[in-house]
Amino acid sequence: MIQIQNLKKSFRTEEVETLALNGVNLKVAEGEFVAIMGPSGCGKSTLLNIIGMLDNPSDGSYKFAGHEVGGLKESQRTQLRKGNLGFVFQSFNLIDELTVFENVELPLIYLKMSKAERKEKVQKVLERMKIAHREKHFPQQLSGGQQQRVAIARAVVTNPKLILADEPTGNLDSKNGIEVMNLLTELNQEGTTIVMVTHSDRDSHYAHRVINLFDGQIVTESQNKPMKAMV
Amino acid sequence: MFRNHLKVAWRNLKSNKLFSIINIVGLSMGLTIVILLFLFISHERSFDSSFPKKDRIHRVLLKTNGDFGFETWASAPPVTALAMQEEVTNVESAARLLKHNFGRPASMRIDDQNFTENLFYWVDKELLTIFDVELVKGDASGPLDRPGTVIISETAAKTYFNHENPLGQTILVDNSLALEVTGVYKDFPENSTLDAEIMASSNGSWFHDRKSWSNASFETYCLFKKNVSLDATQKQMDQMLDANLPKNQQWYSFGLQPLEKVHLHSASYGNSYSSRIGDINEVRNLTYLAILILLIACVNYMNLTTARSQKRSKEVGISKTLGASSESLIGRFYVETGLITAISIVLGIVLAIFLLPSFNGLTNQNLNIGLLFNSSFGLVVLGMWVVTTFFSGLYPSLYLSRFMPKEILSPSLTRGKGNVLIRKGLVVMQFAASTALIVGVMVIYQQTKYIQNKNLGFAAENVMAISVGGLREGENKRALVQEFENLSEVTAVSMVQGYPGMDVSGRTLRKKETDEQGMNIQTNVTDAGIVDALKLHLLAGNSLPKSKSEKDTLVEVVLNKKAIDYLGFTPEEAIGKEVYIGVPNTIVGVVEDFNYESLHQPVGAYAFHNSPSEGKSFMLVRFKSRELVSTVATLKNTFTRVVPNLDFNYSFLDQTIARMYAREKRAGNISIVFCLLAIFVAALGLFGLAAYTAEQRRKEIGIRKVLGASVGKISQMLSKDFAQLVLIGLLIGFPVAYFSMENWLEGFAYRIDIEWWVFLLAGTIALGIALLTVSFQSIRAALTNPVKSLRTE
Repeated sequence: MIQIQNLKKSFRTEEVETLALNGVNLKVAEGEFVAIMGPSGCGKSTLLNIIGMLDNPSDGSYKFAGHEVGGLKESQRTQLRKGNLGFVFQSFNLIDELTVFENVELPLIYLKMSKAERKEKVQKVLERMKIAHREKHFPQQLSGGQQQRVAIARAVVTNPKLILADEPTGNLDSKNGIEVMNLLTELNQEGTTIVMVTHSDRDSHYAHRVINLFDGQIVTESQNKPMKAMV
Repeated sequence: MFRNHLKVAWRNLKSNKLFSIINIVGLSMGLTIVILLFLFISHERSFDSSFPKKDRIHRVLLKTNGDFGFETWASAPPVTALAMQEEVTNVESAARLLKHNFGRPASMRIDDQNFTENLFYWVDKELLTIFDVELVKGDASGPLDRPGTVIISETAAKTYFNHENPLGQTILVDNSLALEVTGVYKDFPENSTLDAEIMASSNGSWFHDRKSWSNASFETYCLFKKNVSLDATQKQMDQMLDANLPKNQQWYSFGLQPLEKVHLHSASYGNSYSSRIGDINEVRNLTYLAILILLIACVNYMNLTTARSQKRSKEVGISKTLGASSESLIGRFYVETGLITAISIVLGIVLAIFLLPSFNGLTNQNLNIGLLFNSSFGLVVLGMWVVTTFFSGLYPSLYLSRFMPKEILSPSLTRGKGNVLIRKGLVVMQFAASTALIVGVMVIYQQTKYIQNKNLGFAAENVMAISVGGLREGENKRALVQEFENLSEVTAVSMVQGYPGMDVSGRTLRKKETDEQGMNIQTNVTDAGIVDALKLHLLAGNSLPKSKSEKDTLVEVVLNKKAIDYLGFTPEEAIGKEVYIGVPNTIVGVVEDFNYESLHQPVGAYAFHNSPSEGKSFMLVRFKSRELVSTVATLKNTFTRVVPNLDFNYSFLDQTIARMYAREKRAGNISIVFCLLAIFVAALGLFGLAAYTAEQRRKEIGIRKVLGASVGKISQMLSKDFAQLVLIGLLIGFPVAYFSMENWLEGFAYRIDIEWWVFLLAGTIALGIALLTVSFQSIRAALTNPVKSLRTE
């Protein structure tokens, strides 16, 4: 699904050029659950942005489902992203002015889906995330765990092939964190590919594979025994 | 998608109350002004549009040269209309109108009652067909055909005949002419240059068949044949003049003015009788002012919206990661802008309805709110909405929709400085406009005060002008003067042809009868009392002689300083000298120059003389200043006792003089109010901007406080940035203000100079307003407990 070769990304400020990624090679197969770990500033988020097509690499090749993505224009990337990718963020990134229902509905609107269809899909996913009773609430009225469940609902409502999670449990207490990881595992078991950036050792154990990034390069890769969902 | 946009926009509006209120208040104030001005301007522009043949109607203009200088007059010699009908083949018909006695009020006697009518015109019967005057009573076939006939407006019919049928009744004009009412016509609309309440037939009048190519006192309208051009007709008129008047006697040439231009493009033309004259410059200036205010309000919106970009960027980023395209985001911000402008327009209309009476008072108009509810206004509202939305939303939507989604994932990344620079530029522009307006208001105010307080060379206070045009020369007049002179309340009495602020007769002053060249001079028939009545300052000699026998053909004259300067005499030398003003005149006195016209015009040569060449239409009475009410009553009693068959119609000279500046006063009033509004709207924007800046720098402020910064230091830091912007704004605003106000002042012959302290004061005011606005926010931000602002991160 994801093929990355010799990927580089540099940032320029007025005086210095920083190399955030320096020759990353990575393959992720369909149905895999990959965790990316590493200290602050090692390039995890940059790598995730590029995989998520939010940013272009400076050099190297990135193929998504066989398509070369590096060098696409923003509008082209938007097209490719639609429906294929779902995002889950550490800080949830829900839109404050929209209700739970409307937040989850948003990606479907951008896919130009009919109203009835949207309603059905949103309700289904909200029930699955056990948040349906809160569909009329605004994000500020929910607990952190609930907000993240809404964010996951929003990420999966389009049935994406790939979910990108950026420290999804970073702002949650351990009980809620475990709940979120269980949800992601469930989704993975149903066939969705997941790439997750994390600081947490515990969370990384949910993944099939852990990649350690340091100074913009992959330093180690290790296989995990697949874990069963914890209760 | 649209519904979703609308929903988010509405919730955004509700959740950011300060932002929304500032924007809506600012925009709706701007729009209120635009709406009110639209009413005013569309009324001004609608003038004379109700006449069915309006496209074919033109007014004859006279362009003078030679002794009169280069002026344009709205009147022509009496023969013009007659000659045009015969010699100018492009013209179907032509008609003259002459306000009674060259613009004096008419004394009328109906049954046993006396009246005075200011809008009494003598007209050719062709006028009725040219302007399609609609008769509601009387024989429509030719009400003015016979000599001695008159038609009156419906209003005049009500005033003078109450409920009686006016047809067949007699109006005695100036106690000498009996006119028969043969028709009642529908009132001319308020937006008509023709303002006659009474129109008497020219047939039988002294000028009806007059073949004179001078005495240009007749407003002349002509109706073109269908499909003829202005240029071709103009050429025919030039040929007509050449055919009738030798080249060396042509002290003027003819011009033509389409009816649609008569109202707004005649402010500088002389000899126009209508009481309804507009000014295209005023309309233009007000339009600019309205646009400026709306612009300031739009800039507020741009500034505040982009200032909130930190918060909005998150929303944009999320939407983009979820698949929103830039276009759909631009649409989204436009929906938001459109919503705010729509609310502002509705509010603006409501405000305009409430403020219309005050606006009418301010502009001296009688605008009707009904004008708002027609289809063209609907279009204007739609246009305003589209333009305001497009303009206000342009920068925010383009700027905000460009945010890259990755930025929300790495919020530490700083964005380019372009945004801040543009926003600063907009604040600078706003304050440049505001300071220019402050300077403008101050200069207008100073000039208005200057005009009001300038020594005019005569004393206009405590002088009453009573119209006595209906009084025959001789016994009656003399008796009246004598009776008035005997009253203890009265200090001086003088019979005059006209008084300052009023047209008198233009003639040419020559040193010798044979001189080719002369000087244009205003001549005014009067008597000995004039110097005391106006309190003129005698430089040499005396006033006109007290008594003069009717057989005495010698003409005495009192000249002003300008006139004897032209002649090359000192005041003392001038006494006893003979000069030529049409006929030989003996100089008996010299007075200091005085402003007989508005201060827009420089003083020219002026003569008071005692030749009976013109009638004396007014009696000037100078009275003692106390007890105005009882004085007026005494004067009235005396008047009606001596001349029972004449209406006691009077005005006060100082009020007449003040009316000459009504237009300036109106422009001044409007600009002062508008400027205050503009400054208020700009300050409002700054207030919002400061609030958001403080909000954005919350964390920084918190850290600084933890590190030991005082409240004073922090508010100083926040205010300094804005102060810089305002100062740059001043530097841009000052020259703009200076040049535009110099331009305005050039319209006055007597004017103030713009002084340096005006700029200092305006700058201080602008800076003061800005700092006051900003420091409120700065101090509030500085007082916040740092624990609070740091915890949220």
